[in-house]
Amino acid sequence: MAIPVRGAGPLAGDRRRRAARLRLLLGAGLAAAMLLSLGWGAAGETDVTAALLARAGLAEASLRDSVIVWDIRLPRMLAGVLVGAALAVSGAVMQGLFRNPLADPGLVGVSSGAGLGAVLAIAGTGLLPAALQSFVGPWLLPLSAFAGGWLAVLLLYRMATQNGRTSVATMLLAGIALGALSGALTGLLVYRATDDELRDLTFWNMGSVAGVTWARLGAAAPFILAALAAAPFLARSLNALALGEAAALHLGIDVQRMKRIAILAAAASAGASVALTGGIGFVGIVVPHLLRLVQGPDHHGLLVNAGLAGAILLLLADAVSRSIIAPAELPIGIVTACLGGPVFLWIVLRSRAQLEL
Amino acid sequence: MELRAENLRVTAGRREILRGVDFAARAGEVAVIAGPNGSGKTTLLRALTGEIAHGGRVALNGRDCAALRPAELALLRAVLPQAAALSFPFTALEVVRLGLTAGVPGTRAATGRLPAMALARVGLAGFEGRHFHDLSGGEKQRVQLARVLVQIWEPVLDGAPRWLFLDEPVSALDIGHQLQVMAIARDYARAGGGVVAVLHDLNLTAMHADRVTLLDGGRVRSAGTPAEVLTDATLSAAYHCRLRTNTPPPAGGPWILPQAADHCQEEAAE
Ligand SMILES: Nc1ncnc2c1ncn2[C@@H]1O[C@H](COP(=O)(O)OP(=O)(O)OP(=O)(O)O)[C@@H](O)[C@H]1O
Ligand SMILES: [Mg+2]
Repeated sequence: MAIPVRGAGPLAGDRRRRAARLRLLLGAGLAAAMLLSLGWGAAGETDVTAALLARAGLAEASLRDSVIVWDIRLPRMLAGVLVGAALAVSGAVMQGLFRNPLADPGLVGVSSGAGLGAVLAIAGTGLLPAALQSFVGPWLLPLSAFAGGWLAVLLLYRMATQNGRTSVATMLLAGIALGALSGALTGLLVYRATDDELRDLTFWNMGSVAGVTWARLGAAAPFILAALAAAPFLARSLNALALGEAAALHLGIDVQRMKRIAILAAAASAGASVALTGGIGFVGIVVPHLLRLVQGPDHHGLLVNAGLAGAILLLLADAVSRSIIAPAELPIGIVTACLGGPVFLWIVLRSRAQLEL
Repeated sequence: MELRAENLRVTAGRREILRGVDFAARAGEVAVIAGPNGSGKTTLLRALTGEIAHGGRVALNGRDCAALRPAELALLRAVLPQAAALSFPFTALEVVRLGLTAGVPGTRAATGRLPAMALARVGLAGFEGRHFHDLSGGEKQRVQLARVLVQIWEPVLDGAPRWLFLDEPVSALDIGHQLQVMAIARDYARAGGGVVAVLHDLNLTAMHADRVTLLDGGRVRSAGTPAEVLTDATLSAAYHCRLRTNTPPPAGGPWILPQAADHCQEEAAE
């Protein structure tokens, strides 16, 4: 009697196992990058383990070590992880939504919109009554960055979509227009800003994880975590959407509803990360693209792995930005742009034929 | 159990694309929609499947389609579009697996094997790992058909027929694969499912259709069995071209032989 073969290994063309293996690898990589980021800094000899354990009462640590680890490195490291994951995942979600591998929060104007929201919040906080200021202060920034990013995607998506086709060219050009508008407004505010505001504003343009505090992290994290938690539920719909909106509908996807959720998720994560660290470019485009080359475009594996790889990339970029001109620091946005620019160009050259620009 | 549509109207801007079309199809049969370019075949199919806004009513198995959610409809019918796009480099197997999006009643193990089985059914066994974008036009069309088949693999679910909507499923296929795909449609109907296909090839229509609806200018010019619809007068008038139907010795259905091209110009000038 013939015994049916079970678990005979994956079929050709089935890349789900590859994605699962890569997820383990990236998970381990992220753990290592987090430890590296905690253990390494400008302060020199620091007993990180003791400082961490001291909180739980398991070890003794000096006040200096405790401050360095808990108030400087830990929030900075967590910001890197959250923002890296948020940018990469929102990039992957937007690429799936626009059905184009070149969509990126930084390029299609979401970050500009969020930046505009953030700048308005910085300028606007001063106008609020003092009592209200301390109350809404930390929340106003991420909220208005989120709203700005959300309005920007919504607007761009409406403008770029005609008869069910989303034009990249329109998207990029409208993104440029929005970026210019945001730049102009930022410039205006810089021109008449106080010294304190000036520092805040300059920081948006560069993008940096330095000086992230627990309060700012706490205000931005809920947005990012909510979006990251929602993303895996979009995987099925984004896969179906690769066949076009009509086919996705026939496959049982409520397309309008999933588009609304995807836009909200992308705007929440991109907006909150802009609020936290300013405009950090190219993570959202480079990470999903490289992952697709390795494991294929299936969003089930892609979204999770993009989150992990984005976090790793940002932690590494942060390490570079801290060490390359030590003891001074380079804004991390400059590092990601140096890494991402060439990769982006490479993608453009490879897909030149499909661009219709 | 049947598909019934009444008085379908579709307008694009001020242009009327469908002007009150009635359409009916029975489970267990292959219903073919034919007609010249631009007569509204694709539009009719899109109205029947709820893809576009339309006037009139469509009922599938006695249930009003407008009242069904996309997820419910997806278990009831699958749609092969006239032109299929794919925006990311999925493999053939991954494309076919997208057909499982709505979920398939049955065990997990059976679901796992389904995509490969569907690829084999359309004659593409061994193509699992090929990138969809690298395939030939006909191979792409058959991969999409496999995806559609996977979505409603069992022709009857809980006693209710499921429906296969195909918009020009053989437009890119060689004659052998045309016959293979039509055999798949026939088998699906024979097993109790319903098939609605848009076809340009009148001979394939004559061979495989149980019912033909001939559209012309957004209206039904003629509907009935192939023998009733595929007549010299009806076809020549619809296609502005002199066509002779004939009956070959073995089968008994009509077949169509185009006459020389200069006749077409005469006919159009009249
Ligand atoms: N979205 C639209 N906007 C404007 N006109 C449309 C639209 N969709 C279809 N039409 C027009 O409606 C008519 C019918 O189109 P349809 O696609 O249904 O034709 P068809 O019978 O499928 O033709 P073919 O054999 O070429 O596939 C055509 O004249 C077409 O130009
Ligand atoms: Mg058509």
